Amino acid sequence: MLLLRVDNLADTHAVSAAIAQLARPGDVIVLAGEMGAGKTAFAQGFGRALGVSEPITSPTFTLVHSYPTSRKLTLHHADLYRLDRTTDIAELALHELAAFDGIVLVEWGDVAGAGLGDHLEVRLTHADDDVDVELNDEALDGPDGGPDDGHPETDGFADNGVREIEIHASGGAWSGRWDRLCRALEGYRC
Amino acid sequence: MLILGIETATEQVGVAIGGHEGVIATFEVRRGRRHAEVLTPAIEFVCRQADIELGELGCIAVDVGPGLFTGMRVGLAAGKALAQALRLPMIGISSLDLLAFPCRHTDRVVVPVIDARKDEVFWSMYRQVPGGVQQVSPPAVGPPDELIGDLLARSQDVLCVGDGADRYRDQIVEGYRCEIGQPTHPPVGALVQLAHARALREEWVRPDQIEPVYLRPPDAQINWAVREARP
Repeated sequence: MLLLRVDNLADTHAVSAAIAQLARPGDVIVLAGEMGAGKTAFAQGFGRALGVSEPITSPTFTLVHSYPTSRKLTLHHADLYRLDRTTDIAELALHELAAFDGIVLVEWGDVAGAGLGDHLEVRLTHADDDVDVELNDEALDGPDGGPDDGHPETDGFADNGVREIEIHASGGAWSGRWDRLCRALEGYRC
Repeated sequence: MLILGIETATEQVGVAIGGHEGVIATFEVRRGRRHAEVLTPAIEFVCRQADIELGELGCIAVDVGPGLFTGMRVGLAAGKALAQALRLPMIGISSLDLLAFPCRHTDRVVVPVIDARKDEVFWSMYRQVPGGVQQVSPPAVGPPDELIGDLLARSQDVLCVGDGADRYRDQIVEGYRCEIGQPTHPPVGALVQLAHARALREEWVRPDQIEPVYLRPPDAQINWAVREARP
């Protein structure tokens, strides 16, 4: 388990980019954390590092968004929040998307538990529990200025951007890369 | 009666038309895994080349898996849409049946093995009976080692077929001495043949009664305790 602390949105993007550099086809990466914790911000940094040119927005209403990357793989960005049953998750077949030259980011994927198989879990939390995420207009615009996709509060940080990021590998898919991941993120360790 | 068959349970996309005279036309593509892009043009192509109008069809048959979720939802959605629009009944047939059917002339136990991804396979066992094959063990899902355990437990002369048998060929043969044979993908011609036999007995269902066979862990309510915190 790796525990990181980031001070702002740029740091979060840097952390997600470092993970993206080590990610490979077949990976499933679960993004956990409350609303406004920065899951979509993480996905944006991740996609940018893979060379996704389209803006990455939260896929709440379509369940999965797929983006071509500059590498020979497709980035799939899923959001399980709207689902009620585990079979609904199974029917998304996220592991199949990964198995065919894909990397899959799964927001709220922690509810799926073992059903996702080998994966990396990235849990984002507000470093300071006292910080209240205010969803006023100013906060909605956020530092990222992302387009309004019905999930604006997760596009950027609505507060000072200080986060704790907990990274945990489930299964063996990351064991060969874990040391490199730790080295790449050394500067952000708590 | 003319039957349109749609098979998308593995990486293959297959479309066929057949009837009393047997299989009239088939189209199978095994590369690219582009079910959504290939299927509808393939249906149009097969109908045109066989000189059959959609209005002449009497039934839509689909491979209901087990297999790739991403493939099956394309095939089932297309099949249901056509059946609903044309007001036709449907027949769903297991991918494992389709793999076993062409091996109906062997006296060995036929074991269709389909790649389920996540290092797992779907499998079942079939035995020759007059006129076809009969399933002798219910469909199962698990790692290849579990399949080998099943084979060892039954200890019979076995022919393994399917893309799962092909992918895990070395592991299976090392664990249990058996032959790995053809077909690798469920033949869509067999789908039309098997569906025709059922159609003659009017063993068909409404489009809304066609469900994919997933063989995955049981359904459960998602524990959304955290969801309460959201607006």
